[in-house]
Amino acid sequence: MRLRPAALLAPLVLLTALASPPLAAAELAIPPIPYHQRTLPNGLQVISVEDHASPNVAVQVWYHVGSKDDPQGRSGFAHLFEHLMFKSTKHMHAEQFDRLTEDVGGANNASTGDDVTNYFEVVPSNHLQTLLWAEAERLSNLNVDEANFKSERAVVQEEYRQSVLANPYGKLFNAIDPHSYTVHPYKRPTIGSIEDLDAATLPDVIAFHQTFYRPDNATLIVAGDFDPKQLDAWVDQYFGWIPKPAAPIPQVTAQEPKRKKNLRYTVTSETAPLPAVAITWLLPPASDTADRIPLQVAAALLAQGDSSRLYQSLVYRHQVAQQVGADADGRVGPGLFTAYAILASGHPPAAAEKLLHEEIIWLATQPIPAAELDKVKTQLLTAELKQRQTAQGLAFALGQAALIDGGAEHVNTDLAALQKVTEQDVHRVLQKYVTGAHSVTIDYLPQPAAAAKTSGAAK
Amino acid sequence: MNRRKNAFRLAVFTAIAIAAGNVAAAVFPATPPAPGPAPALSVPTPTTQTLANGLQVVSVRRAGLPLVTAQLIVRSGGEMDPLALAGLADLTANLLSKGAAGKTAPQIAAAAEALGGSLEAAAGWDESAVGITVTTPKLPQALGLLAEVVRQPDFSAAELKRAQAQAIDELRLLLSRPTALASLAASRGVFGAGAYGHSRGGTPASLARIGRADVQRLHAALYRPDNAILILAGDVTAAQAQQLAQASFGDWARPATPLPARPPGKAASRVPAVLLIDQRGAGQAGVVAAHAAPSRSDDGYYVGTVANAVLGGSYSARLNEEIRIKRGLSYGAFSRLQPLHDAGLWLASAQTKNPSAAPVVELMLGEFKRLGDSRVGDAELAARKATLIGGYGRSLETTAGLADQVGELAVYGVPLDEIGRYIAKVQAVTPKQVEKYAKKHLDRGAATVVVVGDAAQFAAAIRQVHPQATLLESTALDLDSPTLQPVVGK
Repeated sequence: MRLRPAALLAPLVLLTALASPPLAAAELAIPPIPYHQRTLPNGLQVISVEDHASPNVAVQVWYHVGSKDDPQGRSGFAHLFEHLMFKSTKHMHAEQFDRLTEDVGGANNASTGDDVTNYFEVVPSNHLQTLLWAEAERLSNLNVDEANFKSERAVVQEEYRQSVLANPYGKLFNAIDPHSYTVHPYKRPTIGSIEDLDAATLPDVIAFHQTFYRPDNATLIVAGDFDPKQLDAWVDQYFGWIPKPAAPIPQVTAQEPKRKKNLRYTVTSETAPLPAVAITWLLPPASDTADRIPLQVAAALLAQGDSSRLYQSLVYRHQVAQQVGADADGRVGPGLFTAYAILASGHPPAAAEKLLHEEIIWLATQPIPAAELDKVKTQLLTAELKQRQTAQGLAFALGQAALIDGGAEHVNTDLAALQKVTEQDVHRVLQKYVTGAHSVTIDYLPQPAAAAKTSGAAK
Repeated sequence: MNRRKNAFRLAVFTAIAIAAGNVAAAVFPATPPAPGPAPALSVPTPTTQTLANGLQVVSVRRAGLPLVTAQLIVRSGGEMDPLALAGLADLTANLLSKGAAGKTAPQIAAAAEALGGSLEAAAGWDESAVGITVTTPKLPQALGLLAEVVRQPDFSAAELKRAQAQAIDELRLLLSRPTALASLAASRGVFGAGAYGHSRGGTPASLARIGRADVQRLHAALYRPDNAILILAGDVTAAQAQQLAQASFGDWARPATPLPARPPGKAASRVPAVLLIDQRGAGQAGVVAAHAAPSRSDDGYYVGTVANAVLGGSYSARLNEEIRIKRGLSYGAFSRLQPLHDAGLWLASAQTKNPSAAPVVELMLGEFKRLGDSRVGDAELAARKATLIGGYGRSLETTAGLADQVGELAVYGVPLDEIGRYIAKVQAVTPKQVEKYAKKHLDRGAATVVVVGDAAQFAAAIRQVHPQATLLESTALDLDSPTLQPVVGK
């Protein structure tokens, strides 16, 4: 990510699963998002939705490449590359993207996930044509020099220090993927390591752009205040000429094997004031809608809001935890179901771990009150509506559906599917993937810095 | 024949290929296309009414999606914390929803979440607010719940104890982040022993001192209709807002007693001008430089807003340009101007690897100084104004953002139609005004500089430029003390 350390893609997993016909839970008719989709002859997928609520337009380009595609020995490369897309191109100088967005009243950013890298801007709608030109330009004409490469790599290393080292729980969340996967490249953390970033070179950058940044590996999403005919003409003009390379796009083929036993790891931190524990289980790909949506409902039952089961048990009743969470992280490949707790003062990780398991087993086997199921559906629906208030929010919902959840149509059909989730569905998916499968547990323990290291501190 | 034909065909193909190449080159221009005429931003106009009991009801309509944000704001916040009870206003706000009107804390959370929202409560410096965003059909129930927690909280001893323990743990998490701790120390440096100088979230010691009677006393003194504002933003008309407000808050009695006076926000500082705080094992250093700034009612409010936009209000502003983009020293360097009721704060911050803390301090101080020493160019000023205006417009796109903007105007007593004048007022600011503003406020006193991190890696370098820099251990800090040091000295 370019500006914000918090994972932008993660929250979207929960928020974008919904949309479509009238809803019993909220007594509201939610109209479907009336998007249009087409594919140019060079393979570029284009999704658009008109919305004139504000005089702004969101332009996003999602590339089907993420940290799972990092070259060997170059963990963190896809993310470093994302930063370099804001440097010079054949016809733009470094940071010209900021001139074309921020300087005219817009904004831009980008984020890298395991599966995708997305570049997103919002601008006053009279700048749409300019932004389409600029996105086509950096797709086809990237031209980074050595000085920009090195200074931006230093920025990414600061991002690593800020999000992993200087964030008291950064090392824990950064350790989840490496300990949860054995074979699949998801095991490499998206942010990489200082050493692998140091090893990256400018020729790596050129090779990565040639391999993955091509029209048939990209999805352009435009949402907001535009004229559809004009949009189509501009897209054809600026993107249509870009050739589709003959070489096939490399695909990750690694298969993550089923876990054969429960595993446990310990990670320590010199700055975390309180211990924590995280537990993960493997999930099917997000495109398995029939299981993904009940898993999202299960995660929300466990951890969405102060009335959720984990909060009520660990934070409120037993007071062993300071913070709890559960997430059904659906990916293009195998995903993760994660439950975690940051302990309250004076409590060991084992106290939280026992209760996490108890609550999950209870949810997986015991009756779920209809009112509680209805509550969670209303929460998820309301969150979806809130996201749709902005052009950028609409575009994110479409991107998530198109690239992760199995197709743009999911932006609408998943809402109907959510409405139909039953107690039996929640029991079935939890028993299949969580209580009936093997876990990886990470204990996170504060370990004060060795006295020797700082005893010579300047005074 | 064949050959010719083939040759001919080959020529045709070649011609097509060349044409295709030319089409690409001709159609894809080397310079970005110019923008069309700018679209107009329509800003909704708030409506305000006052109920007989003194409650100000503000509604602002944004139809389209069936969503409404409701916020009940009390015009008093952390500035009213008693001297030894830092964090009382925030803890009180937090406890509102933890038992009220015969409902337990879990019942209130379940009720709010069944409506699709959640009750969010916190104290700012000059206000305390509790709010919820729901779909329109759920609004009457949401307001009923809001009224119960604001008007009839239990403040039970058990919930107080639970909230204290949670707040102390949260504080420990917060203070383990270098920039958060540095910002807290820098605020103390700017506001001294004034009300804005303490830790609004409390300190481990002050939170432990808070008793049930303290919470009840603060609630009785400040949570009253003539000290409150109800904001309804979204898919709701002014008439509906009035009717709903009357139903939920119309019989909220106004006490006869006068409102307590506000304490002064700022007093003389006893914090060293350059303070280094050693946080063993810190993965980065948090660097903060802060100055005092004028209050919200100052005539130069918009000039200050633009000046901060130039200094560090966005990605392309000067601090990030110099520290991140040019030198790769940080993931981000920004500044914020926080004008409060009685005084204000202008604070710049960045995190950097421990060994580069010293150059980041100098770059930050240099950028503050440059703002008062030289005039901002027209192009730079136009760009930063556009960034401000664009961000402002986008903040009004959501019901929650709209409620926040209107709420801020109401809290500071600014006429609500100011919401529609923001753009023109920002546009009117000149380079000369920015320079004068910066010079005037930066000349009033040196910055307070605070660096938190692994001091062994930066203390010596910082002391080469600032020999007077004081070094403290993070474990020995006393955030309740105006000097930040325990009374029993070294």
